[in-house]
Amino acid sequence: MQIRATKEIYQQLKEARIKIIIPLILLAITSYFSFIWVIAFKPIFFGILIFDTNVSIGIFLGFLLILLIFLVTLTYVYLANKILEPLIKKIQNNA
Amino acid sequence: MHKLILLLGLFFSNLLFANTADGEPNYTAIIMFVLFVGVTLFITYWASKKTHTAKSFYTAGGNITGLQNGLAISGDFMSAASFLGISGLVYLSGFDGLIYSIGFLIGWPIILLLIAEPLRNLGKYSFSDVVSFRLKQKPIRILAACGSLSTVILYLIAQMVGAGKLIEILFGLPYYSAVMIVGGLMISYVTFGGMLATTWVQIIKAVLLLSGATLMAFLVLYQFEFDFNQFFSKAVNVHSKGENIMAPGGLISDPVSAISLGLALMFGTAGLPHILMRFFTVPDAVEARKSVVYATGFIGYFYILTFIIGFGAIVLVSNNPEYLNDSGALIGNNNMAAIHLSHAVGGDILLGFISAVAFATILAVVSGLTLAGASAISHDLYANAFLTGKNNEKMEIKVSKLATIFLGVLAVFLGILFEEQNVAFMVGLAFAIAATTNFPILILSIYWKNLTTRGAVIGGSAGLFIAILLVILGPVVWVDIFGNNEAIFPYKYPALFSMVVTFVGIWFFSKTDKSKNSTAEKELFESQYFRSQTGVGIDKPNAH
Repeated sequence: MQIRATKEIYQQLKEARIKIIIPLILLAITSYFSFIWVIAFKPIFFGILIFDTNVSIGIFLGFLLILLIFLVTLTYVYLANKILEPLIKKIQNNA
Repeated sequence: MHKLILLLGLFFSNLLFANTADGEPNYTAIIMFVLFVGVTLFITYWASKKTHTAKSFYTAGGNITGLQNGLAISGDFMSAASFLGISGLVYLSGFDGLIYSIGFLIGWPIILLLIAEPLRNLGKYSFSDVVSFRLKQKPIRILAACGSLSTVILYLIAQMVGAGKLIEILFGLPYYSAVMIVGGLMISYVTFGGMLATTWVQIIKAVLLLSGATLMAFLVLYQFEFDFNQFFSKAVNVHSKGENIMAPGGLISDPVSAISLGLALMFGTAGLPHILMRFFTVPDAVEARKSVVYATGFIGYFYILTFIIGFGAIVLVSNNPEYLNDSGALIGNNNMAAIHLSHAVGGDILLGFISAVAFATILAVVSGLTLAGASAISHDLYANAFLTGKNNEKMEIKVSKLATIFLGVLAVFLGILFEEQNVAFMVGLAFAIAATTNFPILILSIYWKNLTTRGAVIGGSAGLFIAILLVILGPVVWVDIFGNNEAIFPYKYPALFSMVVTFVGIWFFSKTDKSKNSTAEKELFESQYFRSQTGVGIDKPNAH
């Protein structure tokens, strides 16, 4: 009985983890490589100044990317503690 | 211990020669140094009483909290090379500094989402534990140790040469004694205090570096009333490249290099042995997770600071004759931008503080590297590859201490040997090897059922070989160091090519592996995966 319960929870855990990880990792990798892509192909675009400030698009987006990377890790830990950890605890208690 | 005291004497006598820019002894720097060395040696003494078992030597007993480990990871990662190097790069060409900062940071979500928890759940002391979990111990341990040691040694040389030069410029010490002081202190921390002392050295250094950099950025922005608009426009006016400093410059000139550098930075971070080792110091996967968030936050914040510091140096240092030599370049070199800026905004006191922090930074990073290298020798090569698991913990600890001393002496020796060489490419090469060998075998062993020993060994070593070969044939070594006219391999960064070789090699030689062994290895995957996801079966941390 317990083994079957563990199997079901484990299945849930695997599915939940994939649902959390895939969007976050895609977000991180695509934004990073888009950034690199612009540097390689359209460096002039990053030099354009935003409206009437002296801050360029590249510097603004670069700072934003640093923030985004941090938010990705924060979001993952929040979701993992809220959704994955209860499942993991259940499996550990059954074992 | 008496060797330690002898070393301290040497150290203090050398300190008397510490000078400020104008030749007067900088008392702030001396006091800061003495304090830092005193405190860290006291911690080492305290830690040495708790470091008797292999577990305490390699992992500080597994009792480090998420916040402490997050600080220690950022301490490991924010090297003097990145503090002085990135702010120097920003000083030189503005925007380009951001490319490195972001590249160093983007590895962290990868580590967190894919590696941190399985690593903690499957391993004991080093990432090779994870790779050899279901594969054949001997060949895999040797491969992983080769990957670790080449990363560690390349990184160590780069840090040592940088350290020697920095201390030479800052304090007027001869290069040799600077390198020897660094080597001596690092050997004492690691041999006597193991991971516990190393961790606390990292934590203290991280706090010092973060507060010093914060103070500098604050003092710079204060002069502009925190108006970024005014700050950047002044920088554009002052800099010789004018508006170009706000856009990508010459760091990356073609798409292949862009992607290749991007890959090396992103996946290299996830294959650095001294970083991976830090995940075994926390009690469980929950704390491992937490430590990455703290680390990413601290490191990201730190990179924003270095960017402001680099621009601050453009505005406040580049037009001040006090910091320039006759030809109008920075005294020392561009890597001294942050150091000169500290003097420009905070006088001799801040200069002394920041110099001492830079020194602490070097010590902390080389200690972490040495410990990771020593564990590759004692835990992977000695205990598991040659004794093949016949557990003799006392001998293993002895070997790890000997390995520490050996690596320390080797680092000093290589540091002196490479004094006049351009070592900047070595960090790049270390990242390329980490991305090419360590990362693929680690990630595939965790997630790919069909990975076999044969595939990992052939693919991993082929990648390692190609990465080194392409760097030698590339522009940095073939043209700049060997003096040939044209590079045989046209790109600076090999990761794109060498990673493909590794992954294809591993895939092909695993898929075609029909041996009995390989069937058993595939069958073990399910139970390994269960443990990696749930943590059922992991070691408990040492009782206090």
